[in-house]
Amino acid sequence: MNGIWQSVGTANWNLEDHSASATAFWQLGAIGAIPAGQSVVEGGTIPYLPAALKQRDANRAGWPKSDPEAKCYMPGIPRATYMPFPFQIVQGQKDILFVYEYASSNRIVHMQNHSEAPVDSWMGWSNGTWEGDTLVITVNGFNDSTWFDRAGNHHSDGLTVVERYTMQGDNVLQYEATMTDPKTFSRPWKIRMPLYRRLEPNVQLLEFKCVEFSEELLYGDLKKK
Amino acid sequence: MARGWVVAAAIIIAGAVCVWPVSAQAPAPAAPGGLPVAPVGKSPAKHSKYSVPRTPWGDPDLEGVWSSDEEAGVPFERPSGQAKAAVDGSELEELLEQREQQRANTAPTVGGATGAGPTHWYENWGRKSARTSLVVDPVDGRVPPLTADAEKRQQGRVGGGGSFGKGPFDKPGDFSLYDRCITRGLPSVMFPAIYNNNTRIVQAPGYVALTYEMIHETRVIPLDGRPFVAHGLRGYLGDARAHWEGDTLVIETQSFSDKTNYRGAGATLQLVERFRRVSGKGLRYEVTVHDPHTFSRPWTAALNLGPGVDLFEYGCHEGNYAMRNMLSAARAAEKAQVPAAKK
Repeated sequence: MNGIWQSVGTANWNLEDHSASATAFWQLGAIGAIPAGQSVVEGGTIPYLPAALKQRDANRAGWPKSDPEAKCYMPGIPRATYMPFPFQIVQGQKDILFVYEYASSNRIVHMQNHSEAPVDSWMGWSNGTWEGDTLVITVNGFNDSTWFDRAGNHHSDGLTVVERYTMQGDNVLQYEATMTDPKTFSRPWKIRMPLYRRLEPNVQLLEFKCVEFSEELLYGDLKKK
Repeated sequence: MARGWVVAAAIIIAGAVCVWPVSAQAPAPAAPGGLPVAPVGKSPAKHSKYSVPRTPWGDPDLEGVWSSDEEAGVPFERPSGQAKAAVDGSELEELLEQREQQRANTAPTVGGATGAGPTHWYENWGRKSARTSLVVDPVDGRVPPLTADAEKRQQGRVGGGGSFGKGPFDKPGDFSLYDRCITRGLPSVMFPAIYNNNTRIVQAPGYVALTYEMIHETRVIPLDGRPFVAHGLRGYLGDARAHWEGDTLVIETQSFSDKTNYRGAGATLQLVERFRRVSGKGLRYEVTVHDPHTFSRPWTAALNLGPGVDLFEYGCHEGNYAMRNMLSAARAAEKAQVPAAKK
């Protein structure tokens, strides 16, 4: 699974079905609009508990400032997988490294010494194992601050994600992620999408160190007038 | 958050570890990128029969988490009045005691009244390296003089010193890239600060990946001899290509963004880094700094890296309360100077 991969589609806009729609940024014309997309959620919709659904709506109302992506915060798992940026898998002898172009995020998947997360983090703590040819990663130790997409879909710090990566031929990875979070959802739910190998010769990850793009949003009110 | 000053002002208590002698000057061999790499001392391989393990595909195996903690306290440049590259015996005991004392004295008042935190926060207190500088070439252990052009550029710079400087603090851009949690920079990220001195190396066929704990940056560097990206594509960590010279990993980096500033060098900086495993528990790291627009000649600094522990996620930007606090404090200070009649 070594190589550079990227998802195609609009999951990062919204995991569920969405028609094309405008944002508040009419100055960007059609560039500032949201494309349509089909749900990547098995069963179609995310099974929120009532209070958590209200929180999702509040997240949407505050968008984009409420979205951690706008603030260049690390996106967590699974969102890092389907951001509109490539990522690279580096299979070491002991552990597997995932390097995401967005915001210099990355995570190490512990393949041998499985231990509990020592502390909560944005990208979680990943323990991985092989089931035949499928890489199964259990991620725990999330904080509550990442979202699943730009549509306000969220979770608590009780989230556990189990990912499954299976090669389909040389250039496609079938990706599944199951979310379990009894504080937020009435049952576990799953997303599924293919990931595609970036085939350009000499393709490499570039930098998207987005802190400088988020500073006006975060600190603009504190600049000297 | 750690500050660059700690590299220059740290103290260590008595003890003696490895001593790396500095060789006499010899003509510099050229790295394949064309950049000369200065010789920096006897190869430790001459003193030991350590055989570097191999990955399954035959590359030297450098995988692991490596820490620069043991060299904390060694000043970057050799202090004037110190002639030797390393000391031992009673001279070492005295040196380490001096460093410890100096560090303890400075810590409470760094940055004015704020200080740099209590010493029990420092992960690398009480280290015992016998070296007198991290710079190993030139042989005097000091960075060569800046070019005249570089001197002029330095004088033209307004502000600087980041959050420990004198300001202005009008906007985020007035702070250092480190304060803003954009990057720790190269090669600074390799040198020890008060914590997060771990670097993880993961290897796959055709690649070597380095993850730096301080601001969780990762470089995945190709070994397949592909060309560098064109100079139009620049980055805070530049663009890197690596190859093996025997058991030594050689990384060449260029295409730094003009927003970077390593001791005066920005877009024209070029680095040649070398990593070599010297034992089951150690790597030797050397970086040769090239920038004819900034330094009168290339120079080299070196570190002995030991085993580290698993990296913690360093959510620097996510937790950057300091930026809001510093900016709002500056605005409050300005307001306080407004005469009462105008309020």
